[in-house]
Amino acid sequence: MSAPTVAPPPAPERPLPTPTRESQPHWDGMREGRFLLQHCSGCGKVRHYPRPVCPHCFSMDSEFKEAPTGGTIHAWTVCHHPFNFFFKAAVPYVVALVDMDAGVRVNAQLKGVAEADIKIGKRVKMGFEPIDKEVTLPFFVAE
Amino acid sequence: MVHPLHETAAISGIGETAYTRGTPKSALALQLEASLAAIADAGLSPRDIDGIVPYFPGGGIAEDFIANLGLPDLKLSLFVPMGGATCVAAIQSAAMAVATGVCNHVLIAVGRTGYSGARVSTRLQQFPQFALAAEFEAPIGMFAPAQLYAQGARRHMELYGTTARHMAEVAVTTRQHAILNGNVVMNKPLTVEDHHASRMISDPFRLFDCSLESDGGAAIIISRADRARDLKKPLVTIMGVAAGHPESPASIAQRPDILEFGLVKSAPRAYEMAGVGPKDIDVAEIYDCFTFTVIRQLEILGFCKTGEGGPFIMDGRIGLGGDLPINTHGGLLSQGHVVGLNHAIELTRQLRGEAGKAQVKNAEVGLVTGYGDMGDGSIAILRRAA
Repeated sequence: MSAPTVAPPPAPERPLPTPTRESQPHWDGMREGRFLLQHCSGCGKVRHYPRPVCPHCFSMDSEFKEAPTGGTIHAWTVCHHPFNFFFKAAVPYVVALVDMDAGVRVNAQLKGVAEADIKIGKRVKMGFEPIDKEVTLPFFVAE
Repeated sequence: MVHPLHETAAISGIGETAYTRGTPKSALALQLEASLAAIADAGLSPRDIDGIVPYFPGGGIAEDFIANLGLPDLKLSLFVPMGGATCVAAIQSAAMAVATGVCNHVLIAVGRTGYSGARVSTRLQQFPQFALAAEFEAPIGMFAPAQLYAQGARRHMELYGTTARHMAEVAVTTRQHAILNGNVVMNKPLTVEDHHASRMISDPFRLFDCSLESDGGAAIIISRADRARDLKKPLVTIMGVAAGHPESPASIAQRPDILEFGLVKSAPRAYEMAGVGPKDIDVAEIYDCFTFTVIRQLEILGFCKTGEGGPFIMDGRIGLGGDLPINTHGGLLSQGHVVGLNHAIELTRQLRGEAGKAQVKNAEVGLVTGYGDMGDGSIAILRRAA
């Protein structure tokens, strides 16, 4: 009798965003390589992440507008332990929290910058990385 | 005017299981075992419990407690969904319930298989509070608390000169205290060198900057102070208690000040209710999911100014015999991770004079904090009543 065979475990899957009714336009924009942010139709203020009500004037009307992709580093971490097995091949990677010129923050991987060169206030620019047909994720490079 | 919750409620019973890494028991069984220990500690019968705040998710819900403990008339069942801030925030809810006469004895209980069951990233996917992080940050490789909170620690280091040596001081001191306790997961001495040599998890957090994944249960009972006075143990009253949420509560990334915690709002309220300030605190049990989180909370609590937390904790100040002994049981870093209910239990022990080798001399007033989700913050100030 031959030894029982055990199927290899499935390859770990990348966690992907599940867009909501509020956030769908943002993700649609990312897929087109455009950084779309939600702006209040009542008072004009920008908000991120997308949500139904403006916390400043309580308007429920909003529109998504293309925003500039530059910004400055606010903080960062270098991820060494892959809490999700998908990222095991990617560690260590830098995740930079960036004050976008558009007035919101974006957290994304910072590529091509040595750890010693990362500083608060460093200028970076957002890029767009298609993951599959639906999802494009942001990343940062030095401006 | 004295706040209606000021000293109207007390912690009347405390209970814990063994803290381990590995257990055949379910989270519910651990939660019930700790609950029975707390009920016995108070000198009550399970039949006396008429309110319950179970930690959720994980462990049981009200129906499980009724079925297992034969509760004849449960009048209040609450969840307080604030992650690690839950347990101390639940003290506020329970105190309200007994102060208003809705309940006589409210049980707050945690059961957790954090080591033998699902690990942190998997557990957090059940939290609605983590939905935004799951949508926008998990896909780029940022989801575990060690990753999400590391950026704040890095910013504090860059702005104020806080160092790995400061963070090591928290880890080493906490371990010294754990060794005195006996019921702990980590019982071997830890040096600053051990800390610095431990592997990097999410820079600047090394392994020994991070709290444990462990198995265990913990429970406390909140009773009206006048009823608790007649029970078995020395009376420990709740002088002040409060819970708070930071701005942008579900996303640290979008918070104007990423070093703002909910404790910024709750600490002043708790001090005011208690009628005491930082100088009156004899012992503090500070939620220590990460070493840095302790340093920052001490700043917010007013023990030192923002940016001075690193130097403040040095030179033995937070150890036994120092000006402000903290985490005298070993905390989440070295004792076990039961979402900080062990901190409330230890503070009660200290104020009763039951803390054994870790007893702080003449401890009369102490505080305990909770910190959770993306920075929710809760605090209770307790006193040994005359």
